Amino acid sequence: MINSKLIALLATILLAYFLTGCGATYVTKATEFPKMYEQQPRSILILPPMNESTDAEAKDYYMTTTEMPFALMGYYTFPTEMVSDIMKQEGVYDTEVLYNMPLDKFYEYFGADTVLFTHIKKWDLSYMVLASKLTIEIEAKIMSTKTSEELWKYRGTVVVDLSGGNGGGSLAGLLASAIVTAANSASADYVKHARTANRRIIYSLPVGPYHNHYMKDQDVRIVDQTPEKN
Amino acid sequence: MNKTKVIGFIAAASTLFMLSGCGTQPKPLYTYGNYSSSYYASKKDVGADTALELQKSIEYAIANSENSTSRRVAPGMYANLGYIYLKGGETDKAIESFNKEKSIYPESAHFMDRMIKKIEVSQGDNKND
Repeated sequence: MINSKLIALLATILLAYFLTGCGATYVTKATEFPKMYEQQPRSILILPPMNESTDAEAKDYYMTTTEMPFALMGYYTFPTEMVSDIMKQEGVYDTEVLYNMPLDKFYEYFGADTVLFTHIKKWDLSYMVLASKLTIEIEAKIMSTKTSEELWKYRGTVVVDLSGGNGGGSLAGLLASAIVTAANSASADYVKHARTANRRIIYSLPVGPYHNHYMKDQDVRIVDQTPEKN
Repeated sequence: MNKTKVIGFIAAASTLFMLSGCGTQPKPLYTYGNYSSSYYASKKDVGADTALELQKSIEYAIANSENSTSRRVAPGMYANLGYIYLKGGETDKAIESFNKEKSIYPESAHFMDRMIKKIEVSQGDNKND
């Protein structure tokens, strides 16, 4: 009698645990991105980012942060600045146009196995009386130029408290604090934090052929970002 | 007796771990030097100064490529350098760099061949003038 009650209680607790989800759920790289392992792309053509944020300068700055991390994950990355220039010479100035081009064109022109699309979702600095907060949200996806399929997609967000000052309680202190905050939110720092957002994205990517763990990282666990499962 | 042996083993293992672990950071796959920050600076303040700094950082990354686990020049570095030469009108050096990119990374061959062909075609045009 006591036993069955206890079992029922345990079952209820377990059920509640599963229903609430209890934070992040994890998946392996292989179950989340099986097509990366099937198609085994060797190269990534990094396109200029699509800026959906309110900051007009974000695009140019963010563009300088993507090449290195993807190369360090073991892929051949086409040089971003040169590619962007060449596209302009070919008459494509608009990122919208670039992002809507048939994917096989990128294979035809560059010989790239895949294309990386990045969307700057947020690049916002919000001011408050005593603090300011920077939010950067990036969504990245890799598309195959051969099958036009999505091979990988991940999101990364950083929220940084930029209140650097310790001005005390006086009005003068408040002003000093605001100045410190303004100085701290120079665009160079944005780029530093964008790199952090990139790190939160890139760890989920199956590594490429120039990496030591190539085709050995199928079982590495990553945070599941599939909305319907969360 | 058994317990002290276990403790002894753990102590030895952790000492070894600490001795080997800290201090030396693992080398990265490629040497980038300050390529990323000079690339950023060249976008922020467009001009001859920042462009030269970017070129210098690319040259540094190429010159110090041995100091990385791959001991290879990072992807795109020779292409970047070649493109700088091309913009400066140094077509021979541009072609040389594009060929180097191609020889290290066959993935770039299609693109590099296209660039080299472009240069050769424009040189042909000039000769015909």
